[in-house]
Amino acid sequence: MTRSVSKRSSWGIHAAQVGIVALIALGWELFPHLGILTANTFPPLSRAITTILTDHLFARHALTSIGRAYGGLTAAILVGLPLGLLLGGWFNRFQQAFEPLMELFGQANPVILSHIVVLFFGIGTGTQLFVISWLSIWPISFSAINGVRSVDPQILKMAASLGIGRWQLFTRVILPSAAPAIITGIRLSAGYAFIMLIAAELMGATTGLGYVMATSAETADMNSLAAAALVVTILALTTDLFLKQAGKRLVVWRYQGGVD
Amino acid sequence: MPKQQSAISSLLLRSSGIIFFLIFWEVSSRMHWIDPYFLPRFSAVITELWNLAEDGTLYSNMIISSARAIGGLAIACVAGLPLGFAFGRWFPATSAVLDPLLRIMSQVNPFLVLLISTLILGLGETTKFAVIAWVSIWPLLFYTMTAVRTIDPLLIKTARSMGISESGLLLKILIPAALPTIFTGLRISAGITFFILVAVEMLNASSGLGWYEHNAAMNFEINGMYAGASVIVLLGFLLNRFFISLERSLFTWRAPVEFLLGGAKTATRLALWRPGRVGIAAATLAIMGLFVGGSFEIVRVNTERANSLAGIDAGKHACHLGSEVDK
Repeated sequence: MTRSVSKRSSWGIHAAQVGIVALIALGWELFPHLGILTANTFPPLSRAITTILTDHLFARHALTSIGRAYGGLTAAILVGLPLGLLLGGWFNRFQQAFEPLMELFGQANPVILSHIVVLFFGIGTGTQLFVISWLSIWPISFSAINGVRSVDPQILKMAASLGIGRWQLFTRVILPSAAPAIITGIRLSAGYAFIMLIAAELMGATTGLGYVMATSAETADMNSLAAAALVVTILALTTDLFLKQAGKRLVVWRYQGGVD
Repeated sequence: MPKQQSAISSLLLRSSGIIFFLIFWEVSSRMHWIDPYFLPRFSAVITELWNLAEDGTLYSNMIISSARAIGGLAIACVAGLPLGFAFGRWFPATSAVLDPLLRIMSQVNPFLVLLISTLILGLGETTKFAVIAWVSIWPLLFYTMTAVRTIDPLLIKTARSMGISESGLLLKILIPAALPTIFTGLRISAGITFFILVAVEMLNASSGLGWYEHNAAMNFEINGMYAGASVIVLLGFLLNRFFISLERSLFTWRAPVEFLLGGAKTATRLALWRPGRVGIAAATLAIMGLFVGGSFEIVRVNTERANSLAGIDAGKHACHLGSEVDK
């Protein structure tokens, strides 16, 4: 039998979890100070934090990056969600014709695509937003299609037999049943948006955290690299946590934990 | 539920989207709706692809990229699968304590890993393997942990009451029961691997599909750029399809969860093809062969590029890192 962690000790587990993370942070701070790691190649945590707080350009780069990532993600949700809902809910034949093409597009690696997109949009924010949202659209629309299609037909029949209108059927029945899948898709997309953000900024940008990373890696400015790394990781992490919690709040009736 | 269609009309319907897209591509370039200098005709891209296949560039870059992907994925499997099993089955408390740390590590941006490992490991092949392994280990690890944790306890109890040994339990119950979920993790890992591999090759490499595409773009060989991109997209698509069909044929007892194409029709396609022992052995051998062949090709190409950069072939112009291997 699989041993499961009993609820009684959940406080102990939480304390240990925090402890481990704190221990790693402490090690990051202390090892360079003690000379176990060279401080020049592996700057302590405090120096990274000092860089974040004191470098006045850093906040601007971080804000630019946040804008790009959330802008791309928002565009992806605005396009991908209606697309998925429409294809999954109404246009069955169209969806059958369209889905292989969408799968092909979903495989179109935006890093590759960026060379082509640059030809049309030029180097700049347009290309970056396009590339970020391109990667993020597909998980959202596929999970929306999937969520709509896997609504229990019994419930649909029941709702129809109770004389519900089409619009109400959509807002009261289909959308709530598809919501868990959609939220999983959005979480996946948010992760992709941050991955792609850094890729886009590494390849062609003069602002943003990816640009900070690229230049500081080239000039061996390890403090800035560590600072940028810290901020990017925390941003991705908090976005994911926020979406997870929002999902739990919004979809209280059927939150599927599963693999996340 | 859609009406029952014949196989041919359903195939036509499914491919119609792609066909229309390709026709639109060809026509919009021919009719100058989009500047044909930026969007070459689809037929021109196919011709370019044919040329690349003929002079061996395509083969060389493809085998190099697959060797890198296989190597990185193999490292991730060797590390991730046993670790996931151990965490999920024998050390649940440890895994619960380590969970936030693992989540944080899995959120570390792959391109950051690329930069840091380039600083530590240099520009060589080790960096590529390290980044790919790092990226692909997380889905494998998390899916394996979940798979082992969610095995029906009744199965284990039944086996125990029949007096199964500990190793028998592992081989006959735990692994088969966990395998479908682990396989889903493997598919996700393979997809991410392919994505990151191309990006890594583009940012620092002098061979491979990603490098080829980047190099063509940097030298403004638009046809070559589109040809490289098409190959990459097609390979990614086929890889995904291959894994999904393998999943369906291997684990027939388990209803497919994700991204079903064509709804109910898949049920009839389930048992079309099922690899037996011979098939699996042959596939393993093929993968290993690809890895070994690709490794030799990597060494050959890298030496060639290094020689041409070192000026052995001096007097000729190398416009971009390793580009236009001066012949």
